[in-house]
Amino acid sequence: MVATWGAILYPVLRFLRPRAATASGALEVVAPFRVKEILQAKNNPFDFGGKPCLVVLTPDGAKRLAAGQAIQADDLRAFNAVCTHVDCTVKYRQENGDIYCACHEGIYDLNGRNVSGPPPRPLEAYVVTLRGEPGQEEIVVSKQSPA
Amino acid sequence: MNTRRRFVGFLEERLGLDVLLGLARNKLVPIHASTPFYYFGGMAIFLFLVQIGTGILLSLYYKPSPDQAFESVQAIVTEVDFGWLIRSAHSWSANLLVGVLFLHLLTTFMMRAYRRPRELTWMTGIVLLGLFLAFGFSGYLLPWNELAFFATRVGTAIVGVVPVVGKQLLLLARSGEDVTGDTLARFYSLHVVVLPMLTFAVLGVHLFLVQKHGMSVPEKIVADARSKGGLRAMPFLPHFLLRDMVGWYLALAILAALAALFPWELGDKADPFKPAPDNIKPEWYFLFMFQALKVLPAHLGPFEGEVVGVLFFGACGLIVLFAPFLDRGKISRAVLASLAAVAVAFFIAMTSWGWFSGAEQTTLRVILGGIQTVVVLPLLIPFTAPGSNGRKLVYAGLTLAIAVLAVATWWETLG
Repeated sequence: MVATWGAILYPVLRFLRPRAATASGALEVVAPFRVKEILQAKNNPFDFGGKPCLVVLTPDGAKRLAAGQAIQADDLRAFNAVCTHVDCTVKYRQENGDIYCACHEGIYDLNGRNVSGPPPRPLEAYVVTLRGEPGQEEIVVSKQSPA
Repeated sequence: MNTRRRFVGFLEERLGLDVLLGLARNKLVPIHASTPFYYFGGMAIFLFLVQIGTGILLSLYYKPSPDQAFESVQAIVTEVDFGWLIRSAHSWSANLLVGVLFLHLLTTFMMRAYRRPRELTWMTGIVLLGLFLAFGFSGYLLPWNELAFFATRVGTAIVGVVPVVGKQLLLLARSGEDVTGDTLARFYSLHVVVLPMLTFAVLGVHLFLVQKHGMSVPEKIVADARSKGGLRAMPFLPHFLLRDMVGWYLALAILAALAALFPWELGDKADPFKPAPDNIKPEWYFLFMFQALKVLPAHLGPFEGEVVGVLFFGACGLIVLFAPFLDRGKISRAVLASLAAVAVAFFIAMTSWGWFSGAEQTTLRVILGGIQTVVVLPLLIPFTAPGSNGRKLVYAGLTLAIAVLAVATWWETLG
């Protein structure tokens, strides 16, 4: 009896497990907007291996951009945009200088630290590098530090 | 006439219909102050039938894939004749059904109808409520709109915080780490195959038990009736059934008005990489949990806030399920009654808080709030003595709610 049920249920349970193809292994992505477009970018967050990725400007970076000065990689931060509370997608609020989750009103600072509301942990941070001619730099986001 | 009799005889010989008819003819329904509460069960079955009918119609055009789901629902409401009405009726009747089930649960609890030997009738009822909430949750994702997407992300993430098995349950529900097309396929299968099959089975047991044990009568009414020479009763066929059908008509009238005057919105198509929109909210019957998760701090002692919240609501669910076995004497009964009063107050307070925060369409919300009040307050009438202050308070509350409802409706339609 046990063997019969085992023989029936084991394949069924295995069948219900998510298939491997749904998990992405991408380690690096180029943001779909350039550095100078970040404040107007409609597609921020964007797709990074199946997860939303958010790029934000630090306050110093925002000042530099407003003054027309060159932006460094240090002026940008990138995060996994999935809220650490219950998985909503967060957004960048330039006017408030923070990252906000509209679902349960969780707030993170621009370093991804949870500072208000129910999120229990900081956002997962990614590494940002810049590539290309000054003024036309692309934003490269990766899950590992460059070698 | 002869042919008809022969046909009935043919059926009786083969199906044994006379047994069922005999049961129906001999069934008696007690008459007392709380008798109107019996109609909620019939209304729930009626609304479930509406769900089945409109659900089958929607399935003729609906396509369960991320590329086509939203567009197919859009086509239903914009291109198919009366598609907007069928979808609106499906969505509104789902909401009304959950509302009626809550009232059925509450009134059954107030009458202590779960007393021996009806413990399993109560438990199958709670399982049915759980199944209908699962219907609501799984059906919510199907239009693949922004609201549905985040509601599913949040709902499944809540499952994911359950200690030990949470992660596995999350993967099972989402069919992966994220909400994707595979999740939509799973929810569709759950919504149109698995849940209906389970519901039919549990509903069958529930109705069998109601038939077997008869309608429960509150103890006080039974004791009072004994001293007056017994309880009055009416035959189920046709007296109670005809009264029950008035309840169905009432449900149909409310459903038709809501579906026609407030067509269910479709919203924007889900984009898995867009941030959650401002003022996002789940359906009203999940709002209390949503609001509680919003106000819980990030950490409560060594635990994360949402873990404590999920465990708390899980424990509440178990208390409700096993209430018949917890009600063992005067003290436990008083504790249960107090807990129930706190739970209802918590539900109403948290739902209202979530409902009115950042409200859009304020008038609609006031109208719905007024309807809820007008429906809930009369439940207290059988429990208050005629002419008492309690009864007067209920009447005053009802008058106020009806006045607010009338003004809000006038404002919405003519203002």
